[in-house]
Amino acid sequence: MDEERQRPSVPWENGTLAPAHHLCTERADSPTPGLVEGTEPGAGQKNAMFVHAQSFEDLTAEAEEARKEAEVFGSRECAEDVGVLVEEKRVEQLNIPPDCRSKEEDVSSEAWRSHKKHMFVLSEAGKPIYTRYGTEEALSSTMGVMMALVSFVEAENNIIRSIHADGCKVVFLTKSPLVLVGVSRACRSDKELLRELQYVYYQIVSLLTLTQLNHIFQHKQNYDLRRLLAGSEYLTDNLLHRLDHDPGLLLSAVTCLPLASSSRGVISSSLQAAKSKNLVFSILLAGDRLVTLVRKKDQFLHHIDLHLVFNLVGSSSSFREGEGWTPICLPKFNTAGFFHAHISYLEPASELCLILVSTDREDFFNMSDCKQKFLDRLSKRSAYQALKEALKSRSYSVAQIGIPELRHFMYKSKSSGLYTSPEFPLVYQSDEEQGRLMALYQDLHSYVHHPTRPLRSFYRCGETENMMAWVTSGFELYLCFSPLGTKALAISAVNKLLKWIRKEEDRLFILSHLTY
Amino acid sequence: MLMISPRMSSGMQEKQFTACLLNFFVYNPTFGPREGEEEKKILFYHPSDVEKNEKIRNVGLCEAIVQFTRTFCPTKPAKSLHTQKNRQFFFEPEENFWMVMVVRNPMIEKPNKDGKPPTIEYQEEEILDTVYGAVVKQCYSMYKLFNGTFSRAMDAGGVELLTQKLEKFFYRYLQTLHLQSCDLLDVFGGISFFPLDKMTYLKIQSFVNRVEENLSLIKYTAFLYNDQLIWSGLEQDDMRILYKYLTTSLFPRHSEPELAGRDSPLRPEVAGNLLHYGRFLTGPPNLKDPEAKFRFPKIFVSAEDGHEELHLIVYKAMSAAACFMVNASVDMTREFCEQLDGLVGPQLTLLASDICEQFTVNRRISGPEKEPQFKFIYFNHMNLAEKSTIHMRKTASVCLTSVHPDLMKILGDINCDFARVDEDEEIIVKAMTDYWVVGKKSDQRELYVILNQKNANLIEVNEEVKRLCATQFNNIFFLD
Repeated sequence: MDEERQRPSVPWENGTLAPAHHLCTERADSPTPGLVEGTEPGAGQKNAMFVHAQSFEDLTAEAEEARKEAEVFGSRECAEDVGVLVEEKRVEQLNIPPDCRSKEEDVSSEAWRSHKKHMFVLSEAGKPIYTRYGTEEALSSTMGVMMALVSFVEAENNIIRSIHADGCKVVFLTKSPLVLVGVSRACRSDKELLRELQYVYYQIVSLLTLTQLNHIFQHKQNYDLRRLLAGSEYLTDNLLHRLDHDPGLLLSAVTCLPLASSSRGVISSSLQAAKSKNLVFSILLAGDRLVTLVRKKDQFLHHIDLHLVFNLVGSSSSFREGEGWTPICLPKFNTAGFFHAHISYLEPASELCLILVSTDREDFFNMSDCKQKFLDRLSKRSAYQALKEALKSRSYSVAQIGIPELRHFMYKSKSSGLYTSPEFPLVYQSDEEQGRLMALYQDLHSYVHHPTRPLRSFYRCGETENMMAWVTSGFELYLCFSPLGTKALAISAVNKLLKWIRKEEDRLFILSHLTY
Repeated sequence: MLMISPRMSSGMQEKQFTACLLNFFVYNPTFGPREGEEEKKILFYHPSDVEKNEKIRNVGLCEAIVQFTRTFCPTKPAKSLHTQKNRQFFFEPEENFWMVMVVRNPMIEKPNKDGKPPTIEYQEEEILDTVYGAVVKQCYSMYKLFNGTFSRAMDAGGVELLTQKLEKFFYRYLQTLHLQSCDLLDVFGGISFFPLDKMTYLKIQSFVNRVEENLSLIKYTAFLYNDQLIWSGLEQDDMRILYKYLTTSLFPRHSEPELAGRDSPLRPEVAGNLLHYGRFLTGPPNLKDPEAKFRFPKIFVSAEDGHEELHLIVYKAMSAAACFMVNASVDMTREFCEQLDGLVGPQLTLLASDICEQFTVNRRISGPEKEPQFKFIYFNHMNLAEKSTIHMRKTASVCLTSVHPDLMKILGDINCDFARVDEDEEIIVKAMTDYWVVGKKSDQRELYVILNQKNANLIEVNEEVKRLCATQFNNIFFLD
């Protein structure tokens, strides 16, 4: 037990988890392309809230040290944890489009083939672990072939990356002891699909820990991992749905609930006051948007970990029924151990969800107390009312900014890892159109973040819309204009928009970050 | 190819290796369906000294990849496989016949201290699929130009003849592939046309008509000047590959004596015939020697009923070249060659100097050539016309470009993007080096411009490209 308690403390000393120290020079009055990183609109005043994320490439960087560390620990107690975990994960599904889990599909049918994006997870023994469409059983021979291809190329001291046909690509990711395969009909770049496979990998690690995963397959190579993951597939289903629709996963950033900074300040300090010895992170969410986050000094949450938390909360309705207590591994923090998360909604029908992450699995009642303390304190303040008001409006509309022909945009402050984006305009209301717009943004993103030929700016005139991307050392900006928009208009729009964001940054971003 | 990188790390040199050809093979999975007979599938394998089992393994992997991809797209075959070390390109030109080219990724070898073996870093994003996919297709087209289809050889002499033909052709052809200098132009596989005024164009046409009338054996004619096409009687696709052969292989091989011999009495055929500068690039090297044996290369072009076999006669006078094609069943005699030389030689010499004069006059009118602020590539899918101010003159070995390879790859990326959707588009990007790259696609035309105006903004770049379109392309592009 002692050993387990100490476990999460190990990576704290690990220097790689601290954000890079950036210059906090004076904030520029007007946004200019020459902004020093850390002074762009939306940049935090002191330190970053998250692990400093350069960009999505960050995702592909293998945390070798973390893995080595993980292997040092014995994994005897993990089996115990998993038992608890699986039991608690049997929660109902929510938010999942009905077609997402239509398992009983004929895997030789045209309908199955024509799904836009397939995802498969298998073990190194070629045993199926997960498929997005169809059943694992029906696909066991296909997955067997996948594994055969992987090991064939591996036998030549080489690594298989991807297969390309006209309008279809297959991308492989080997993350021992797992192999992940994505098949896409739409993706422009391999890197985008690879990023999604990484997310799926981390999703599985967050349920089991890597230590546990390694342990299982070291002992029994052809173990059927579905036995452990049964009942949790919906988390991956939901994550995949998010990957197609949530800009945050594309941008490696998180968006905030727009809120007056005075109100946010009050909420943050109330959360800060509700502390406990083993409490590491207190996160207040409004749906998919962050209200505030308080963390232990020197501890940083990686955006991937935060998205996994979002996914966990957003996928299960069980947390609405009372206070939830669940083990969760935050793989970007530490792949070896579990945290324990206290998850509860502030009010029964509210979107506001409080997540208290503790290092101690016996901490449920402490966390429950913390929540109560926070709620008691907050409910006395007018900020709580302001918060509830802010929830009523879904987000803000792009028309508010007053730029003609601008339909939508995404702005990310690189140093804070936060982004802002208006609600989808009328033209992109349907699920399909939103998906199409997200795919266009993905294209833009993969262009400007090309691994060897990155770009400063990108502008595309098309028949249905004009898209633009601009990347500086401080921010990333992606814009969607109507096809009537001219280049001159685009330039003036960017300037006007940046000024508007600077003006609104108090409301759109979390500028000051609290620690306990 | 090995290049020593200028970067020095603590006194030890990093070695940079460019992309290179690892394997090239042709197989047919239906030829050895039983276990133990796998070797029979392989019709050609380069390099030939690869151990048998390795050949079988590599072919097996390709079969598996092709089969596996059918799980997801039964109608569209696999085109490439990316691995850490290399890329493989698949092409099925005829049913069940697969051509595979394996290209090693560029790599950097970094020496290690303490006698450890050097670390090798593969640069996996450097090779463009579209470019090398086009190169494989070109390999097939070139084979077909000189040999006809695979199935033709199969019908004529079975597997044995086909393997012989493949061996003979690719042994030499593969040595001429210069993979590190392939780029967007290989994707287009276009033809550069020589700009000409109407009068001179009519003169050339009447020359072609006259020759075809006098020498009725001639079935098709093509006329080139300065390695650029002026007139062709062939189908577009046939001309495209013949043009490739002429400009990258035949002409460069003969350019040396040409340069040396223009005014020099050393050339025997010129010395003996002061009337003209004409000579055969294919066929008889010296008409004055009655003992010298000669033959013309045979080519295959498309005809109404499949393919047509022809003799290829290439005759050149100064910078003008005429290709005459005669049905292969006709015996090519010395008399015919002499007749052709007597008729074509003086006329072609005259035409060549006419065109040259016209060309210099035009140049003088348009003013002295300044180094422009931009470089461009233009391609028209309808007539295969291509124009590039990025590429220097092509030689047999290398195709020199005047811009950084990374910029060429950005052009390639934009071209991939255009190929995905069938609608008009324009893309303007600013690279990290502050160069602007503009791609425009309108109808069947594509234009790529590289601007070296680091401080320009989007609007200025747009204006600059508009000006270019107005002067060079008569406002073909409208999309704004």
